[in-house]
Amino acid sequence: MGALSIRNVKKSYGDTHILKGIDLEIDKGQFLILVGPSGCGKSTLLNMIAGLDDISSGEIAIADRVVNKLSPKDRDIAMVFQSYALYPNMSVKKNIAFGLEIRKVPKAEQEEIIARVAKTLQIEHLLDRKPSQLSGGQRQRVAMGRALARNPTLFLFDEPLSNLDAKLRVEMRTEIKLLHQRLGTTIVYVTHDQIEAMTLGDRIAVMKDGEVKQFGSPQEIYDTPANLYVAGFIGSPAMNFIPVQLGEEGGHAVVVLDNGSTPQSVRLGPISEAQRAFVGKQVILGVRPEQLTDPESAHSDRTNLQSLQATVAITEPTGPDTLVTVTLNGVKTVARCHPRAAGHPGQAVTLVLDPTKALLFDPASEKRLA
Amino acid sequence: MTAASQGAPGFSLSRFADTILPKLVIAPTVLACLIGFYAFIGWTAWLSFTESRLLPRYEWAGFVQYIELFGNDRWWTAMQNLAVFGGLFIFFGLLIGLVMAVLLDQKIRGEGAIRTIYLYPMALSFIVTGTAWKWILNPGLGVEKLLHDWGFTGVVFDWIINPDFAIYTVVIAGIWQSSGFVMALFLAGLRGVDDSIIKAAQMDGASLPTIYTRIIIPSLRPVFLSAFMILAHIAVKSFDLVMALTGGGPGFATDLPSIFMYQHGFTRGQLGLGAASAMMMLFTVAAVVMPFLYSELRRERRG
Repeated sequence: MGALSIRNVKKSYGDTHILKGIDLEIDKGQFLILVGPSGCGKSTLLNMIAGLDDISSGEIAIADRVVNKLSPKDRDIAMVFQSYALYPNMSVKKNIAFGLEIRKVPKAEQEEIIARVAKTLQIEHLLDRKPSQLSGGQRQRVAMGRALARNPTLFLFDEPLSNLDAKLRVEMRTEIKLLHQRLGTTIVYVTHDQIEAMTLGDRIAVMKDGEVKQFGSPQEIYDTPANLYVAGFIGSPAMNFIPVQLGEEGGHAVVVLDNGSTPQSVRLGPISEAQRAFVGKQVILGVRPEQLTDPESAHSDRTNLQSLQATVAITEPTGPDTLVTVTLNGVKTVARCHPRAAGHPGQAVTLVLDPTKALLFDPASEKRLA
Repeated sequence: MTAASQGAPGFSLSRFADTILPKLVIAPTVLACLIGFYAFIGWTAWLSFTESRLLPRYEWAGFVQYIELFGNDRWWTAMQNLAVFGGLFIFFGLLIGLVMAVLLDQKIRGEGAIRTIYLYPMALSFIVTGTAWKWILNPGLGVEKLLHDWGFTGVVFDWIINPDFAIYTVVIAGIWQSSGFVMALFLAGLRGVDDSIIKAAQMDGASLPTIYTRIIIPSLRPVFLSAFMILAHIAVKSFDLVMALTGGGPGFATDLPSIFMYQHGFTRGQLGLGAASAMMMLFTVAAVVMPFLYSELRRERRG
């Protein structure tokens, strides 16, 4: 019972399997993000939802109606394309009206809809212009306006912001989010940008090689990634992966981190059953840069923060924070420190690690040890 | 750098290269244009106002040649032929070229081969086209004979020797030669249309014919203009095709202004009349080209 259900959907061309069984389900009004690197099948999946690509097997249902055999126009959807795909020979007004005209909406009603959409997107002053006379951001708005005019049950966005410059992209991102909040529409949004995914989505599906690696809310995906791939893909700068040997001490997981001169034992959270099976074996410790910081910046309310000594290899100031690279167990590890506490290359610094947020992964299956 | 420029105050190589060299390089072309085009246009214009016959004479004679030209039946036949030939040639050339391009744009197999085949006639000279079609259309040699041999003895296809229909054979041969090229132009234009525009229109609920007529073909406006200009100037300057196909005959039934001009100017010793007809051709071309050029330039400046 959802706005969009994707059940075991596969897509293959001969022996090439683009999508290997996708299962996703969202409710009405949710904002679903399909995120992944190029070639992961996210755009193919979107095209299949849109009806622009056939489904090899499985089922797609929009508002509880299976649409596998329906043509795009009968699916009650609208799509915003990466290239905007505005009709170049028509004015903005005609662009918005075209779909209504094809669907034989009465003229007066068309005018009403165009006025409403133009007001929503603040493009009233652009209605008589041709697409070639608009800037990238304006074209983006018109493309959204064209989708809004139809008032469909499902909106599809195919990397709509990737042709805009960085500043405008952030602005439009906020606007899309506002629009979603205001109109309460159901949206499927494809992007390769993990920041867009995190900021916009209610539900995120992280895809790779035609599979959904994890499906959940942004915070779930950020805090408890299901596997190494998701952990590394989401978050910038990326999560540190440090090979460690897992130990147990008084019901807690313990790992040893070597800064090159002294091995230091670090006590993590209470050990789980899954983790206990790996005691004495090599595992991968995943630590986000902001969970490894200088003592001053660490949350003082956190108890049992673990201190570490390390030598600064390089510092990269970003303004509010400075990214400090140190070497732990032979791998480069990034810590996010206050600029004052960042030190300089060659200097020894004390870092603290939040043990409750640290994650452990099985190096063979790459799955998180929950 | 400062030392060098101070050392040579009078002559600087970089200044020479920047300002004088480009002018020097372009000068021969400009000169050739000035003499080859404009000087001879001027000369022809002057001759058209004289009583020149076999050799040029330069005494001003006013509009006598134009008066004679406009009283000449053969000239009006030629102009009428130009209107028929030009109109049909441009219209069907565009139509057939566009239809072939749209059909070829449907992601069909063997497109490259088909495209080459359709484009190939353009590689032939009009003389070859004319001669080949002269044989094909010859009633005793080509299509009519073939159909008679197959047993369709009642078939009559003798346009090429029928004064009322001979001009249409020129149209057929001209279209055969040019439509492939027009197709290539349109195909390039169609390929330039963003795929997602078609997808967007599909989602808007438009059928494929609607997508073509409402969105894709209207957005090919610049291609239409280029194709029109190319076909129009081929039509006006058409000479070799007619010479090879019908030689202007039967009688002077397929005369075009260019043939009229050539025959009067160079073979009948009526240089003045030929020059007057050449000027009229120039004005015909200008009448077609100028408005387009003007509107296009204005669009460009506004855009």
